Amino acid sequence: MARLCARIRLIVMAIALLMLAAAPALAQRMGAGVDPNADAVKEQQLLQQFQRIQGLGTIPDTRSYVIEQPLGRVWRLFHEVYLHWIGTVVIVGMVLLLAAYQLLHGTVRLEGGRSGRMIKRFTALERFTHWLLAVAFIILAITGLNITFGKDLLLPLIGPTAFSRWSIMAKYAHDFSSFPFVLGVLMLFVLWVRENLPTMVDVRWILAGGGMIGKAHPPAWKFNAGQKFVFWSVTAATIGVTASGLYLLFPFYLTNIFGMQIAQAIHAVIAVLYVALIIGHIYIGTLGEEGAFDSMENGEVDLNWAKQHHSLWFEQELAQGRSAAPPAGAHPSPAE
Amino acid sequence: MRAFLLACVAVVVVGAGGYYTLASLQQPSGIAFSTDAARINPQWTWRSIFGKAAAPAQTGGTAVPPAPSELVEACDPRTATQWIFVDLGTPAGESGLCSISQ
Repeated sequence: MARLCARIRLIVMAIALLMLAAAPALAQRMGAGVDPNADAVKEQQLLQQFQRIQGLGTIPDTRSYVIEQPLGRVWRLFHEVYLHWIGTVVIVGMVLLLAAYQLLHGTVRLEGGRSGRMIKRFTALERFTHWLLAVAFIILAITGLNITFGKDLLLPLIGPTAFSRWSIMAKYAHDFSSFPFVLGVLMLFVLWVRENLPTMVDVRWILAGGGMIGKAHPPAWKFNAGQKFVFWSVTAATIGVTASGLYLLFPFYLTNIFGMQIAQAIHAVIAVLYVALIIGHIYIGTLGEEGAFDSMENGEVDLNWAKQHHSLWFEQELAQGRSAAPPAGAHPSPAE
Repeated sequence: MRAFLLACVAVVVVGAGGYYTLASLQQPSGIAFSTDAARINPQWTWRSIFGKAAAPAQTGGTAVPPAPSELVEACDPRTATQWIFVDLGTPAGESGLCSISQ
């Protein structure tokens, strides 16, 4: 019994000694007992202890006193790693998807060929507004993608001097072209919102695959469900990038550095999704669908195109006598 | 394609409007976020390209060699052409200090 008690005492003493030896390391790991005024203190240790390293300064801007902000590292990780992956997957994924569609399905042709008779689809104001938005968006997209991907893709190609000069210009072009872009979206919203309200026709259009999948061409009014999706996505995304962009355009006016980091993350994620969406929109409007580009080129579309893709709108327009006669010398296929 | 060309012109015009709007609302970063002793010389900012250069500091006749900061104050602001073509080189006759990053 005495021997057992002696062994227990020995074990307890050993455990106590071990705990004593491990205490400084444990305390260091937990951040306790860090003296920021000590001669040698590790920066990482201070960061973990205080969450931010802040001091005193003589510059009037007190924000400059914050030397280390741990969340800044999280933001940097997002901007340098995660955002690159998100952007690459979304944008390259969209391009690959469209390329696969083009290879497997091909351009959606006009089944009856061109009739030679045209029908007015968009007014001059609508086309001007669309192009205003489109030109501004392309400037914003190229200059914005330069902020995210330029350092990796462009810098090795053109070198630091040319890249920094280009990036200075791109930064200003991004700021200034945001004004015509927002104006274009606002104008387009006013012009097209009524015709983009969802109806039951859109549900049937989606269920039928929208004419892009299979051979059927479900009926649609002036805008089909796919175009309405683009319209409302553009509206929502523009609100998102504009609101977050204002936080970045006026640094520290509306929020602190953490708020700006959040705003930048939101701005960037919405922007890459926006770019992917518009790549799809451009594809359908040009290569993907024969005759679609005419509507934005000169405002008129072929009667057969209207009948094939927007049959309800076509019938409505025809009933109101809005189709034009065929141009001289044209050899039309019958539209009706 | 007249609508397209007109839209291109409108982007430039409204973008220029955006420039003047921002210029009236924002302060140059050199003024907004630092003092005179800080790194960025406000004279060099984009928004001061049409502004008047600050007069060089007077030393009252004493033969004191100018401090680097005073030399920088004497640098000419970059012209609009230089900004548009992003020519940040040193113009002829100007101190080399004017083109060193502040």
